[in-house]
Amino acid sequence: MIQPTLRIKELTIHHGLGASRVTAVDGVSLVLEPGQALVLLGESGSGKTSVARAVLGLRSAAETTGRIELGGTDLRSLDERSLSRIRGRRIGYVPQDPTGSLDPLRRVGAQLTEVLRRHRMADGRRAAHAAVPALLESVGVPDPERIAHAYPHELSGGLRQRVCIALAVCCEPELLVADEPTTALDALVQSHVLDLFGLLRAERGIALLLVTHDLGVALRTGGQVAVMRAGRIVETGPVEQVLASPSHAFTAELVGAQAGARR
Amino acid sequence: MRRFLLRRLLLAVPTLFGVTVVVFATVALVPGDPVEAFLGPGAPLAARRELTQRLGLDRPLPVRYAAWLWHALHGDLGTSISAQRPVLRLLLPAFGETLLLAGAAFLLVLVGGVLLGGLGAIRPHGLTGRLSGGLSTLFVSAPQYSVSLLLIGLFAVYWPVLPAGGTHNVFGDGGPIDLVQHLVLPAVAAALVPLGLTARVFRAALSTVVEGELADSLRARGLSRTAVLWHCLHNASPALLTIGGLQLAYLLEGVVFVETLFSWPGVGQLLYNALSARDLPVIEGGVLVTAVGFVGINIIVDTAHAVIDPRVRS
Amino acid sequence: MTTTVIRPTTRTVAAISTAGSWLRRNGGVAVPLTLVVLLVLAALAAPLVAPDSPTAGLLQNRMLAPGTPGHLLGTDDQGRDVLSRLIWAARPSLVGGFAPVGAAGALGSALGIAAGLGGRRTEQALLRSLDVLYAFPGILLAMAIATLVDTGLGAVVLALSVVLTPSVARVVFTEVQRIRTAEYLEAARVSGAGRIAIAVRQVVPVVAPVVLVYCSSLIGLSIVYAAGLSFLGLGVSPPTAEWGSMLDELRPELFSHPAVAMMPALAILVVSVIFNSLGEALRRRVGAARDLRPGAGR
Repeated sequence: MIQPTLRIKELTIHHGLGASRVTAVDGVSLVLEPGQALVLLGESGSGKTSVARAVLGLRSAAETTGRIELGGTDLRSLDERSLSRIRGRRIGYVPQDPTGSLDPLRRVGAQLTEVLRRHRMADGRRAAHAAVPALLESVGVPDPERIAHAYPHELSGGLRQRVCIALAVCCEPELLVADEPTTALDALVQSHVLDLFGLLRAERGIALLLVTHDLGVALRTGGQVAVMRAGRIVETGPVEQVLASPSHAFTAELVGAQAGARR
Repeated sequence: MRRFLLRRLLLAVPTLFGVTVVVFATVALVPGDPVEAFLGPGAPLAARRELTQRLGLDRPLPVRYAAWLWHALHGDLGTSISAQRPVLRLLLPAFGETLLLAGAAFLLVLVGGVLLGGLGAIRPHGLTGRLSGGLSTLFVSAPQYSVSLLLIGLFAVYWPVLPAGGTHNVFGDGGPIDLVQHLVLPAVAAALVPLGLTARVFRAALSTVVEGELADSLRARGLSRTAVLWHCLHNASPALLTIGGLQLAYLLEGVVFVETLFSWPGVGQLLYNALSARDLPVIEGGVLVTAVGFVGINIIVDTAHAVIDPRVRS
Repeated sequence: MTTTVIRPTTRTVAAISTAGSWLRRNGGVAVPLTLVVLLVLAALAAPLVAPDSPTAGLLQNRMLAPGTPGHLLGTDDQGRDVLSRLIWAARPSLVGGFAPVGAAGALGSALGIAAGLGGRRTEQALLRSLDVLYAFPGILLAMAIATLVDTGLGAVVLALSVVLTPSVARVVFTEVQRIRTAEYLEAARVSGAGRIAIAVRQVVPVVAPVVLVYCSSLIGLSIVYAAGLSFLGLGVSPPTAEWGSMLDELRPELFSHPAVAMMPALAILVVSVIFNSLGEALRRRVGAARDLRPGAGR
């Protein structure tokens, strides 16, 4: 039996102390199989981003309990050093804002070679350098040689997001965590990026955990959906099914609200 | 990069022009007749008229300005009234001494500012953070003349471990150690205020980066803690450069007090003596050279900024 | 003999803890502010507060060390009581701090508002002129002006006002720039109100708190500059006591009587720290409040 890529069991996250204690995530459990897509759908404050950050092990001053397993490895028992070897290598992260996530002072290619060498995906600087254009091309970047030499501020929003995706997948991870990856992009570029995710899943078997508040994005991503509200999962199931005929009142509200806005 | 440099230099020209106008106008408007000051109040009319003509003081103001500027550009800044020597000949070695002092102080400012501010940014809560903030405020409030006096009193009089003035020992053969000993107290006195300011600004800039998206994103790529810190420092360096440049300029100005108190033979002391003696050519030349140096430093800082941060070049 | 244990009542305990938490929240501003007020009061009430005369000195008492009975901080080279001199010196020294900042605040605000509301050409002309002034190191400019005018404290105040005005103008201009596209300004313009009227009624209330906070942080700097100029011999003349000139007077005694000689230097340092702490605390307070307030034109 193949291990699921990601298994979360009873994840609970509290912020603050005493009177100002807030529960961001309340007993969330989910399973993600290899190559599968799971959308965490909810409004802001639903806890979906907290779940994503917890998977990455990005430390925060919060009280966390529960179990997070990546391909059988218990992530929460690892120290920071071991976690840093897993991040970027077995888990890739695609951020919401590509502009704030790329180092403005270094060329795109240099940022890629750094990650490749860190996770020993290439032997030496020259090999890492040589691997960059192909990597960029695989995420749909045109004229990869020129782009590798460019600085982030010289690129369009869509290109910047593709670079972020390249950074996330360059070490062939098992899992991709994407936090609102299309919010900062315009509509046409949005659909390209979502198609790219589908391609990566199909060609490389990468599992995808995608966080969003947008129903359209959820539908385009496909796979399973977990609707979140106030830190809890209120409904799960295949995306088209859940959104077409929601069984939970809140999901119905969500669908109604967004459909109304689109009209 | 070249285009940026060219544009920057061109922008400096009107400022430099304005500087020369202000310097000339300020000195030309000094009340009191320099001829009378030179010859004495009882001098005969003929002698006064002759000297006035010789010094060119009877010509209209714009003409005098043009002549003065022309001479200045050719390195002729006039002759010192008190020392009877060409002003430039007095200024250049003095400028060298000031640069040495300001340079040493600047080194302290950079190293101290980065350490003090950096520690405060990395550990903002708890003792380290509060100490960093408190020391920054203390340093920022430490006037150079006060600090100079206190340092001399403590380390040259009470515990005579360091010399109280001059650039080198009159006896003995000097050498680098001797120079450093003489540099320590004045450099520290000059460096405290800029150090405090730099620490504050660097701490704010580094905090912003360390707590921001970029740091998270770098960690998410799996980079080691050292690598992430290094990149954060790199991203905070443009702010450091800006404040550092300002402080270097401030150092050139503030050394007046330090040089006077430590008998350091730099431009500051030269100007102080010239002011007391009403030696106009030296005042003129000194202020001009310092202001031009100021503008020059700003150009260098802006260029360095463009080297580090590619966004500035466009 | 019985010992009575005094147990504080609940009311007293509550009062103390309320005071404690008030101090913790407002201490940053309250403590330096109190010290500043005390300092100003001491300066104003110098004849009452000073233990001795600042000008009468007995030569046989010269250079007494600090701690000598009757002379808490010692005596100077003419036998005058240092503590009394320092208190009397607070008058011109504080004037050297408050007056230039007040003048620069007013003039700088006017220039900044003019540059912000006056149209492209006025803006460029004013900004360029300010740039030229910026090219001069502050102290040198102040020295030059003070030498030119040559009339004591007035010269110092004038010189420092000129030196500080560009910074204030810059700060004000940035503020005006931030709000000048705001709708309520457009509305006023359309309704035909004159530019000066717009400036006074709409812009000044928004700009005023920014200017006040910025100027409060300049006071410490101005005091230091003023004392520095006095130290260089510009400014008040003897026998008037001023912190900077006292520093210069006692300087020759540094090697023989270091303790007394360092007194004025220490005094200036302490005063500078107090004023700067106040400025810092105010800046932090107002900064935090601004982040919570819905900003105009943001």
